[in-house]
Amino acid sequence: MPKSQFINPEEVRKAGFIEFKPVPVNQYARSIADERANFSNQDLLRIYRDMVVIREFETMLNLIKIRGEYQGIPYNHPGPAHLSIGQEAAAVGMAYTLSVDDFIFGSHRSHGEILAKGLSAIHQLDDTTLEKIMDTHFGGATLSPVKAGHTGTLKDLAVKFLLYGTLAEIFARETGFNKGLGGSMHAFFTPFGVYPNNAIVGGSGDIAVGAALFKKVNRKKGIVVANIGDASMACGPVWEGISFATMDQFTELWDDDMKGGLPLIINIMNNQYGMGGQTCGETMGYGIAARIGAGVNEDQMHAERVDGYNPLAVIDAYRRKRKIIEEKRGPVLLDVLTYRYSGHSPSDASSYRSKEEVEAWENADSILWFGKELVKEGIADESQLEQVRNEITDLVTQTLKLAIDPKVSPHMNLTENPDLIGSMMFSGQSKDRMEDRQPEVSMPLEENPRVKQLKTKERYAYDENGKPHSKIRNYVLRDGLFEAIIDRFYKDPTLIAYGEENRDWGGAFAVYRGLTEALPYHRLFNSPISEAAIVGTAIGYAMCGGRVIPEIMYCDFLGRAGDEVFNQLPKWQAMSGNVLTMPVVLRVSVGSKYGAQHSQDWTALAAHIPGLKVVFPVTPYDAKGLMNSALQGTDPVIFFESQRVYDIGEMFHKDGVPEGYYEIPIGEPDVKREGSDITILTIGATLYRALEAADILADKYGLSAEVIDARSLVPFNYQPVIGSLKKTGKIVISGDASARGSFLRDLASNITELAFDYLDAPPVVVGSRNWITPAYELEEYFFPQASWIIDAIHQRILPLDGHTVTNDFSEAGQLDRNARGV
Amino acid sequence: MAVAVIMPRQGQSVETCILGQWYKSTGDPVKTGDILFSYETDKAAFDEEAKADGILLVRFFEEGDEVPVLANVAVIGVSGEDISEFAGTIEAAGETVSHSSAEPAVITSMETVVKEGVASRIRISPLARKMASGLGVDYAQIQGTGPMGRIISRDIEAWMATSRTAKPSAASPHAEAVPVAATPAPKESPVLSSGEDFQVKPLSNMRKLIARAMHQSLQNSAQLTHHLSADARALLAARKKFKKEYEAGIVADNVTVNDLVCFAVIRALKKFPQVNTHLLGDQLKFFRKVNLGLAVDTDRGLMVPALRNADDLSVTGLSSQLRTLAEGCRKGNINPDLLSPEAASFTVSNLGNYGVEMFTPVINLPQTAILGVCTITPRPKDLGDGVYAFVPVIGLSLTYDHRALDGGEATRFLAEIAREIENIPF
Repeated sequence: MPKSQFINPEEVRKAGFIEFKPVPVNQYARSIADERANFSNQDLLRIYRDMVVIREFETMLNLIKIRGEYQGIPYNHPGPAHLSIGQEAAAVGMAYTLSVDDFIFGSHRSHGEILAKGLSAIHQLDDTTLEKIMDTHFGGATLSPVKAGHTGTLKDLAVKFLLYGTLAEIFARETGFNKGLGGSMHAFFTPFGVYPNNAIVGGSGDIAVGAALFKKVNRKKGIVVANIGDASMACGPVWEGISFATMDQFTELWDDDMKGGLPLIINIMNNQYGMGGQTCGETMGYGIAARIGAGVNEDQMHAERVDGYNPLAVIDAYRRKRKIIEEKRGPVLLDVLTYRYSGHSPSDASSYRSKEEVEAWENADSILWFGKELVKEGIADESQLEQVRNEITDLVTQTLKLAIDPKVSPHMNLTENPDLIGSMMFSGQSKDRMEDRQPEVSMPLEENPRVKQLKTKERYAYDENGKPHSKIRNYVLRDGLFEAIIDRFYKDPTLIAYGEENRDWGGAFAVYRGLTEALPYHRLFNSPISEAAIVGTAIGYAMCGGRVIPEIMYCDFLGRAGDEVFNQLPKWQAMSGNVLTMPVVLRVSVGSKYGAQHSQDWTALAAHIPGLKVVFPVTPYDAKGLMNSALQGTDPVIFFESQRVYDIGEMFHKDGVPEGYYEIPIGEPDVKREGSDITILTIGATLYRALEAADILADKYGLSAEVIDARSLVPFNYQPVIGSLKKTGKIVISGDASARGSFLRDLASNITELAFDYLDAPPVVVGSRNWITPAYELEEYFFPQASWIIDAIHQRILPLDGHTVTNDFSEAGQLDRNARGV
Repeated sequence: MAVAVIMPRQGQSVETCILGQWYKSTGDPVKTGDILFSYETDKAAFDEEAKADGILLVRFFEEGDEVPVLANVAVIGVSGEDISEFAGTIEAAGETVSHSSAEPAVITSMETVVKEGVASRIRISPLARKMASGLGVDYAQIQGTGPMGRIISRDIEAWMATSRTAKPSAASPHAEAVPVAATPAPKESPVLSSGEDFQVKPLSNMRKLIARAMHQSLQNSAQLTHHLSADARALLAARKKFKKEYEAGIVADNVTVNDLVCFAVIRALKKFPQVNTHLLGDQLKFFRKVNLGLAVDTDRGLMVPALRNADDLSVTGLSSQLRTLAEGCRKGNINPDLLSPEAASFTVSNLGNYGVEMFTPVINLPQTAILGVCTITPRPKDLGDGVYAFVPVIGLSLTYDHRALDGGEATRFLAEIAREIENIPF
């Protein structure tokens, strides 16, 4: 909460009413005759053609799915095809006014939007640009099949390219827009302003907001359209995205030219069904989806319902709404009413709707109607329209032939190159900055109060006599994070950071103290308490070319961003065919002291998902070095931090934490103490308990323990651990995660497989209990303690002379606890 | 009337045997004297013959099973006979090899941690197993000190330390270094994998033992070999004499060249007691008697039985006893206690019959030396007064452990053998 905003009890306690402005519903009432001044004949014919292209393309897919052939060409497509037959006017109307700088995001049902936006872009681009785009996409791999034997204009070629790139993608061909790794529900082509579609309902509801944020923060031209379905309005992340997009601070707190709303249109492609659930009358309560905008902010999101069966009505709405956005009064919510004749998917028997209903909509079909209007207005005669339709049927037929020809359009060859997809999971670039320009900062770095304060701190925890410095004098872990982050803010102009309490407060754990002074609002701000939106917007921001540090205050809140962290963030680099990079460093703070919902180490969840890098440094030196690496890279990194050690000094790096820039490569475990008799490998703050255990082993039992800090989970280099095992033959693996299904178990399993012959005992996991985390006072019974490690060694690895155990690590105990599920 | 086939007890210290290979399947007809199965102690391999005619009604154990001695292994009888009475010993015996029962839930001291689970299957860590294999240690004899009685690396280290130094009289040897028999006339071993031009088959357990012993010997001693030859004229004359007497029925034994060489070796050993020894860490065990090991090549593989108190025997007695031992090896009824490397104080290996002119025999640790006897070849010799003639000479190759013996004394010992051969008193 900024101090500049005074919450006056006298004001806020006053009686009154909230007043709503009327939400327009289908207010467009002009005929084609009325619109002749706004559209040339060619424009109107192009609208007709674009709708027919979409219709024929999807009709072809429908026939392939249900009959296995189109125009006598047999093909079996085992993958998905969620069709939008009937929705063409909505798509073409949406795309008609958009420039290449305007980005659309879509859903699982977005073939129509891809084609509409692509056709619009082709119309607008000059031949030179168009040619360059096609030539350079995967080195011309998508272009060459359609270029061979092409006669006609470059724009004709571009249309072929668009259809072919999309269809090859749907059919999982390597020549597709995304090398066949995205498929029907994820196809996109950024050079035409088509950003990812999303197989998760509402998936674009927060990602698109991040794209709009990117445009705003980086002063980019264009607006962002989130094409999401009417049923997705029930999805939490969509609501979170809308909340994020309508934050008051854009107009109240952001400075100078940054003041004003996001350039965003939430475009509800309202086909009135969510699978079989009828959103009006059954599964939702809004009646008319535009109503939603009314409750969100004072502008009511400028919401209105538009007749999506009339392309001109949609175009009209976009012309008006663009003006609002240009006046920085966005975002906008549009409820574009439409209808799909096709089922949710080919397996949908439409048992939830009547034949009469479908027929009624077919009678109102936008293509038929629009064609008749064109004839009526004398813009075209029926034979001209028929010629358009025939040409398009030919075009779609040729496209199909090319896309299913294995010689022209092969699948990825994983027999010859089995690791091809593996090699695409990470982009692995090293980039100081995502764009070259001067970063916007509020003061020179050296004048920053915290930077000055850090100059007085002890960067190694012990003095020359080996005595520890007092806590207050130490340079601590949170300082290491701060130094890496502020350094990047002064290097990379695109870098922004946000989350709960990030500004003013300095972050709940004071990592960002000093950043508020250094950065303007638009580079560091407080988000709503919307973890899904915090991560989802970061994804959209990164997709468009920015670098971003979203923060999840407690690891336990990761579940609130489940889809974003597990389905979106990790997948887009590979699903895009490596077109996109994802420089997102998601800071996740692991709690303690706060009980069952604020103290969990969920590293395993992140490590399980392919496509994420996962680190967990617990020393100031490692924290700074790994944060530098994470911020230098272009991959999504889940950056775990432990609240137990934010104030810990540097106890290992004798030269102290360097003041300058350095990187610690992600994936390298670090030997924190050398030893010869037993290895203790830890994840997270358990390192310090393992060191205690090592002291006990040395003092009481004469054993020399080697203590290794994993530091990273993904990737992870096992060689140093195996090297240690060659010396010791024995290993305990410990960390704060509940043991069952933890990454500790993964380490143990890999170590067993990789170092079996060196093992003198099974690798033993000492994790937390499979319980709720109890209160702080009882935490020693839940989190691994030094004594647990000793007990586990005694009972499972190396009986220690004279040792008496207090914790049961016996085989019987393990069997019993597993049998009981605890 | 059905009869049980039991696992014989081969030597007093043997408690269990590993069943090697079945030669008969359930339902096969068997005749007395048919080989039923092979089995191995930790020292030797044996064949068990059928002692009754009939049908092999049941097999209670399979290949690779550890079978308590005297347990019923199979039953021979007539088809359809009740065999239930024979199964009883299996259950009783089975308990000794099955896993022990419930473990206490809370472990409170080192004692319990170590003792639990002992006397069941052998628990050994992969590292300890690898160490044992490399060092030729038979870990079955080691009491583990790891959790649940698991043998861990420190146990192997402790075993090596104590068996090498402190306990020269320890009953159980630290290594089963004597090469003994491979499994008898093995059927085709199972093929583990194959390619166009190869097949991979597992080693028999006895082959593994030999491999380990030989490797251990070369890894853990300082072996080198001296070669020398002896004028064999006296030797051949003696041989000729004995042959004649044998053919004439004057002596009962056909004394061979090898018997005569052994006789000479025993006499030499009496003069060089430092060769008639075992090296045990930093101690040398001197034997008052000569227990002569003799390498016997059988169709099952190499065996080295010991002839105890060989220095008490006359040349014909020696000949007779050596032949008995060799036959025992070839038949597989040798007392396994005689096959231990500890049983012999010195070993002779004779490859002369095969025409080998020189070789480097491998010592059976902890013995300190081994003599290789080579073939007899003619060689020119100065007979004095400028007269040269071809005389037969026999090659002698002495491998000795330089840790126990120096080159000088080894050479003097070898020369002494030559002298004994050249002056053989017959």
